[in-house]
Amino acid sequence: MKFSKYLRDKLYAIVLSLIALGILLLIFFAFKVDSGVIIASLFVLLTLFISLFLIDYLRKKKFYTDLLSNIEVLDKSYLVLETLVKPEFYDGELLYQALYEINKSMSENVNKITEQWHDFKNYIEMWIHEVKIPLATLILIINNHKDKFDKKVQTQLKRLEDYVDQVLYYVRSENAEKDYLIKETDLSKVIKNVGLKNMDDLLENKIDYNARNVNIKVLTDSKWLEFILGQIINNCIKYKRDIAGSYIKISVRDEKNKTTLIVEDNGIGIKESDLKQVFNKTFTGENGRGKGKSTGMGLFIAKNMCDKLGHKIEIESALNKYTRVYISFAKDKYYEVLK
Amino acid sequence: MKKIMIVEDEDAICNELSELLENNNYKAIILKDFKNALNEILSSSPNLILLDINIPYINGEILLQDLRKSSNIPVIMVTSNNSETDEALSISYGADDYITKPYNPNILLLRIGAVLKRVNNESNILTYKDLSINIGKGIIKRDDMEIILTKNEMIIFSYLLNHQNKIVTRDELMTDLWNNEEFINDNALTVNISRLRAKLKNIGYEDAIDTRKGMGYILS
Repeated sequence: MKFSKYLRDKLYAIVLSLIALGILLLIFFAFKVDSGVIIASLFVLLTLFISLFLIDYLRKKKFYTDLLSNIEVLDKSYLVLETLVKPEFYDGELLYQALYEINKSMSENVNKITEQWHDFKNYIEMWIHEVKIPLATLILIINNHKDKFDKKVQTQLKRLEDYVDQVLYYVRSENAEKDYLIKETDLSKVIKNVGLKNMDDLLENKIDYNARNVNIKVLTDSKWLEFILGQIINNCIKYKRDIAGSYIKISVRDEKNKTTLIVEDNGIGIKESDLKQVFNKTFTGENGRGKGKSTGMGLFIAKNMCDKLGHKIEIESALNKYTRVYISFAKDKYYEVLK
Repeated sequence: MKKIMIVEDEDAICNELSELLENNNYKAIILKDFKNALNEILSSSPNLILLDINIPYINGEILLQDLRKSSNIPVIMVTSNNSETDEALSISYGADDYITKPYNPNILLLRIGAVLKRVNNESNILTYKDLSINIGKGIIKRDDMEIILTKNEMIIFSYLLNHQNKIVTRDELMTDLWNNEEFINDNALTVNISRLRAKLKNIGYEDAIDTRKGMGYILS
């Protein structure tokens, strides 16, 4: 709150006071009042006016300055009322009360939406568990009657399962609550499970799945990481080049402060202009549009999950040469000590 | 024949699962009375239990805790809830393994085999006719003769041996290899099988592994 601006705001009062003072002076002169009395009265009145403005300014200054600076400092500025002392001047009280009511109605609204989202999330999770039962049954039926079913049925079922999982992890990763459990996980086990899950697709597409020296433990949620790696492998398969010798090479770089999982393929790669956007929601880029079956959600969800787990995910690529995805896991010194 | 109990309230899954198990030389028993689950399990004394978490009257995790008070029967939790927390809880309650629905049937069978092998402390030495097979060392012996198999060849041979006189599909062999982190391709599988055959020929078992066109292989 600036004093000059405050004065400008009070200009009408100052002008009125000066006019009143002028009239008073005229009256004094008209009645030929003694000059000593004039000076004394002027002094008293001026002091009175100045102190009135000053006191009023100081009373307001504290409240408004705190209000403005706290809004700037707080990352959740809607909490600002909690940080202020209730003002004791009338317009401040009105403002405070109004803000309080606005806040209250907004938080009721937010609560309602949070609750709705929570219910919706629970319903989706429940639905996913339900839908997995017929999926599991179908897979068993097909396996028990291989002679009656084409392998293509299995491929389509696997796609269905993948899409269902994508929804599950989207809901989990967008959730404010902690929906994961970080514990020591062997990367080789995650790589193995993802490989097994995609074995048919990899063999069908003649892509070599290669993992060497990956027996390293990291701190993560293994189910989440399996999903993340699954999205990357899916992309490797989807965007392979039609050449002999397609491969996916998985390796691990173990450094002092972090462990990095590297997935490299020799697929069609990603255009440089698309590279920065691959983690954006519903971004499909030239590759996704070309192949006509990309939702643009896979890498977005993967990135979201990495952020939650505290892993860093990066991607580099050269068109028609390779794509490399790096996922880094921080090492926890405290955990090392516990071991 | 090993008895496996299925604790699962979805009839369709129960039926298909028991068919799968019966096709793979297990005897499948389906739990009927969920109100009396613990007693029924104990009285039928299975060698292994496939336990779903979402079952009527009692939660699978609680049933597991109750079971563990009186029995060490191996338990594999089977659930559609794919979460690390549930897995960690189940393991801490004494489950031997945790597998999520929908599962690959071949992998379920491998996991069942692995748990049974682990709890029964099955030896690493198998026999086939007059051959003695040391899986850990990768050696097959016949009298004074001896052949050394690579890891992949041994995985293939022991899988065929565990399913003796049954047609084994390439898919099953592939799954077992990948499950052992040997991510080989179709050509490599063919090569491994012919090498295995050549080695068996050296100790006089030229025709032990038969090819069934379009179906797979059989060790008779």
